[in-house]
Amino acid sequence: MDLLYTLVFTVFPYLCLTTFVVGHGYRYVTDRFGWNARSSEFLEKKALLPGSVLFHWGIVFTFLGHAGGLLIPQRVFDFFGIDSQTHLTIAYWSGLAVGLAAFVGVLLLLRRRLTHPRVQAVNRLNDTITIGALVVVVGAGIFNVIFGHFNVLVTVAPWIRGIVTFTPDAMLMETVPLSYKIHVIAAWTLLGFSPFSRLVHIWSLPLTYFFRSHILFRRRVPTPWAPRSIR
Amino acid sequence: MKIKAQYAMVLNLDKCIGCHTCSIPCKNVWTNREGAEYMWFNNVECKPGIGYPKRWENQEVYRGGWEMRRGGLRLKAGGRLHKGLNIFHNPDLPTIDDYYEPWNYDYARLIESPQRKHQPSVRPHSRLTGEPIKLKWGPNWEDDLAGLGETGAGDANFKNLEIATYLQFRNVFMFWLPRLCEHCLNPACVASCPSGALYKRDEDGIVLVDQERCRGWRYCVSGCPYKKVYFNWKTGRAEKCIFCYPRIEAGLTTLCAHSCVGRIRYVGVLLYDADRIAETAAVASDQAVYPAHLEILLDPNDPDVERRAAAQGIAPNMLAAAKRSPTYALIKAWRLALPLHPEFRTLPMVWYVPPLSPVSSQVEPSRELDTIDHMRIPMTYLANLLTAGDEAPVRTALKRLSAVRQYMRTQRVEKGSDTEVLDAVGLDEETVGKMYRLLALARLEDRFVLPTKPVQDNDNYARQGCCGFGQAV
Repeated sequence: MDLLYTLVFTVFPYLCLTTFVVGHGYRYVTDRFGWNARSSEFLEKKALLPGSVLFHWGIVFTFLGHAGGLLIPQRVFDFFGIDSQTHLTIAYWSGLAVGLAAFVGVLLLLRRRLTHPRVQAVNRLNDTITIGALVVVVGAGIFNVIFGHFNVLVTVAPWIRGIVTFTPDAMLMETVPLSYKIHVIAAWTLLGFSPFSRLVHIWSLPLTYFFRSHILFRRRVPTPWAPRSIR
Repeated sequence: MKIKAQYAMVLNLDKCIGCHTCSIPCKNVWTNREGAEYMWFNNVECKPGIGYPKRWENQEVYRGGWEMRRGGLRLKAGGRLHKGLNIFHNPDLPTIDDYYEPWNYDYARLIESPQRKHQPSVRPHSRLTGEPIKLKWGPNWEDDLAGLGETGAGDANFKNLEIATYLQFRNVFMFWLPRLCEHCLNPACVASCPSGALYKRDEDGIVLVDQERCRGWRYCVSGCPYKKVYFNWKTGRAEKCIFCYPRIEAGLTTLCAHSCVGRIRYVGVLLYDADRIAETAAVASDQAVYPAHLEILLDPNDPDVERRAAAQGIAPNMLAAAKRSPTYALIKAWRLALPLHPEFRTLPMVWYVPPLSPVSSQVEPSRELDTIDHMRIPMTYLANLLTAGDEAPVRTALKRLSAVRQYMRTQRVEKGSDTEVLDAVGLDEETVGKMYRLLALARLEDRFVLPTKPVQDNDNYARQGCCGFGQAV
C-alpha cells in the first residue's frame, strides 16, 4: 500500500513535473511555429463568446485560488486572523463561483468543439484530449467543492507543499476521498501533457504589451549564432 | 530630425482597368496554401461597394485604426487594458464569412461520371469543411458593380452624398481600387499586437509578422483599419502582405507591381522624419492628417536632408534611389497621389492618383478644366476615400491630370503649346514633360526605382525551399 501511494503521489507528480519543465523547453526549441493558442474565433465567434470567457476567467481565478490556498501554509493565514474554518468557508464560496464558471465554460467549449462543423475542421485529436482532460479535472474539482466537504488544509495542502519543497510525504493523501484523488491525479496528468498541447499559450501571456512602446522597429543584423533554426 | 527610409507605392487609378492581374501572381506565390485560401494580400475592389472584407472602411464595425480620444491618439478598439480584458474573445474580430468561405470544385466528377442522360456538373464545396456550399459571397463578388443595389448603401464613402441618386442607372459610376498592405508609418496592427510579433523593418519600413513570435491573439486583424492582416485558420497565426521583400531586397519590384498590365503602379523610396510621426498622427482634425503627412516626407534633394540621412546611417544606394523616386514625385512634388483614408491616422504609404471619369452629360461647361466638378465620379466620393472629405487636394490632382492631357494634345495634335492651361494649375512645361513620361509612357525603369540590399548572410542557398510561411516539411 505504501509503495502504491509513493508511486501515485510522489513518483507520478515528479514525473509529470519533469515532463512539464523539460517538455516546455523541448517544445519551445523544436516547435516555435506551433506554439500558439490555436484560436478558432475566426471560424466561429458566437458560441465561443460565453464558453471562452466563462472558462478562461473561471480557470484563471481557480488557479489563483489553488495557489493561494494550497501553497501558503495555514499558519500564515492564522497570523492574519483567518482561522482554518474561515479559510475553508472562503475557499468554498469563491471556489464554487469561479469553479462553476470554468466548468460551465469548458462544457460549452466541448460542445462547440464537437458539434460545430468549422471547428471540427480544424480540430485535432490533441485538442480533443486537452479539452477532455480539462473537463475531468475541472469536473472533479467542482464535484469536490459541492459534495466533498473534506478538510484539505491538513492533508492535500501540506502534501502539495511537500512536493514543491522536495520533501514529499505520500501518506498525507491516505485519508483523502477518492474524488479528490481523481482530481489531483488528473491535474498532474494534464500538467505533464500540457507542453505538448495548445495549453502552451498560457506561457505567452503578453505581459510586456502593457509596458512596451506601440510601434516596434527591427533592424536586420547579421547574427553569427543564427537565432532561428534552419531545418 | 530622425530620418528613416521607406518603400512607398503609388497606384494610378486613372489607368486601372480592374483586370486583377496583380492579384494572381501574389496569390500564386504567397497565399496558395491551406488556411490562406481566402487571403488576398493584394485584391482589387470595385467602387462603389463594400469591399473585402465586407464594410472594411466602416470603422464602427471593426473598430480598426486610431482616433483622437481624451486629448490623445488612441487605438479605436481600446487600449492595452481593454485588450488584456478581452483577449479571450476579441469582440471586433471579423470572421471568415466577412471575407468569404473558400471553396473548390470537384472537377473529377466531370471525367469520372458514368454515361448519363444529362451532362455531369461540378458543385462547389467548402475548403473548410468539405461540405457542399451555396455560394452567396466571394472574392470580387462586387465586380462591375454586381449587387450594388443591395450593398451600395453600405459603402462608407457615400458620406454627405445622396446614395439613392448614385444607385440610379443613369448616374451610376465605377472605378477600381487595388488594395494591399499600406505599410503605414504609424501601423495600428503593430500597436495592437500583444506579442510584439509585428514590426516595421528599420531599413525600409516594410511591416512584417514574425511567424515564430505570433501567438494568435488576433488583435492585429481587427486593429488594421484596412483589414490587410489575415488570420490563417489552419496555423492560427496572422499573415500579411510582405511587400515581396525577398524580391525587393534583390532590387526587383513587387509581384503586383511588376505584373500590372496597365502599368499603374510605382514603387520608390521616401525619406521621412520619424521624430514627427506621433505629432502628425495626432493632429486635431481628420482633414489635417494628409497635409501633416506630406510635411514629414523629406525632400531627398535637400542637401541638409542628404547630409543628415547619410550621417544617420541610410545606405548610399538607398539615398540615390530616394533622389530618383517616382513616388516622391507623385506624392509630394506634384501632389497627384493621395493617401487612402488618412482619417484612420495610420499614415499609410500606399497612395492613389484619383481617377478622371467621363463628364456628366447634364452640364456643358465653357472651359475644359471646369469639367472637373462635373465628372461622373463625384468629387465628394473621392475626397471621402482619399482625403478625409477635403475636396481641394482631389480637385488639384484631377485638374493637373487633365491639364497634362490638354497640354499634350495641343503639342501632339495642334502642334502648339498651350501653357495657359498649365499656369492655371501651377505647372510648368518641364514638369508636365516629366509627368507625361511617368504617367503615360510609364517605363519600367522609371516606375520602379529600387536599390538592392547588401548581402548580409551567405546561407541563402542552404535556406532555399525551407523558409517561408509554412512549416518545413
